[in-house]
Amino acid sequence: MLDAALSSYGAQVVLATSSDENHPPENIIDGKTETFWISTGMFPQEFIIRFPDNMKIFTVSIQSYNIKRLRIEKGTSDDADKFETVADTEFEHTESSLQANDISVNVLNTTHLRFLILSGYDHFVSVHKVSVQS
Amino acid sequence: MVKLRARCVVVGDAAVGKSSLCQMFRSDGAVFQKNYSMNVGVELLEKSVSIPDTSDAVEFYIYDSAGREPFAEACENMWNQPSLMCVVFDITSEASFTSCSRWVDRVRSHCNGLQVPGVLVGNKSDLWSRREVDAAVAQSWAQSHGLEYHETSAKEIGQYEAPFLSLARAFLSLYQDQIQLIQSLA
Ligand SMILES: Nc1nc2c(ncn2[C@@H]2O[C@H](COP(=O)(O)OP(=O)(O)OP(=O)(O)O)[C@@H](O)[C@H]2O)c(=O)[nH]1
Ligand SMILES: [Mg+2]
Repeated sequence: MLDAALSSYGAQVVLATSSDENHPPENIIDGKTETFWISTGMFPQEFIIRFPDNMKIFTVSIQSYNIKRLRIEKGTSDDADKFETVADTEFEHTESSLQANDISVNVLNTTHLRFLILSGYDHFVSVHKVSVQS
Repeated sequence: MVKLRARCVVVGDAAVGKSSLCQMFRSDGAVFQKNYSMNVGVELLEKSVSIPDTSDAVEFYIYDSAGREPFAEACENMWNQPSLMCVVFDITSEASFTSCSRWVDRVRSHCNGLQVPGVLVGNKSDLWSRREVDAAVAQSWAQSHGLEYHETSAKEIGQYEAPFLSLARAFLSLYQDQIQLIQSLA
């Protein structure tokens, strides 16, 4: 399901630390790169995607702009508020195109993925599309 | 309608009136501290302002920092990726104006190369009879450093807000430019 809209599988963005009503967090999982969620200032920023069922995830693909350091965490099965880091990466800066990155995570089962944006190449960073490969 | 969030670092020599300005802004003019209480660290203040003629607002996280060493240096650890800067001097103190370029450099070294809008504030304008810094000189220095110049008296209602409003407008305009750029790429 690498290219499909996560929302069509019942996934939801259950938390996002920024919101501009013109660029809501649902845009992250609608499968389109033209629509995006944008942070509205300061770091860190985060958003959490909840899946309807336990998921096995090998790769997370993310299209974004101006993200520098990103950490991905998975929810632990025993405690919904606890997260464990599964990837911690730094993206290259792009100027005239979006950032496109595939991140291997090797998650065996989880219902939540948390994305922590720790720093950026600008005050404001955008996330256009997140998809997962299982 | 959007509410932006900005980390605004406030710097300048000791006793120029940074805390007084910030407190007045935060309290909408209710609190003017007559007695000097020196900062020995960062005081974090939160305040939202609506930007006139828009439906947008900026929530300021103000980092009111100590001017005196070694407290000033200790404050730097908390500035991590500032969004905005406010550099304050006292118009009755030439020395406090001379220090401004050092303050600007210090803040910029924490900006990771990002464009950080800023204002230069000449405070204590009510003490005009003891003025040591010419407004035109301050104005042109500010301009050459990419800052907008404001003169204020933290004591007087209706003055402390202008520098923060101009920062809020500048931040909103960076945001709008960024959205336009992103839309042209996506
Ligand atoms: N007359 C006059 N006095 C002011 C003004 N602003 C501040 N003061 C006085 O100046 C003194 C110092 O003000 P503060 O705001 O504490 O100075 P500061 O820049 O925060 O100093 P540090 O925390 O030590 O860096 C206080 O006694 C204030 O009452 C002003 O606009 N006019
Ligand atoms: Mg102070």
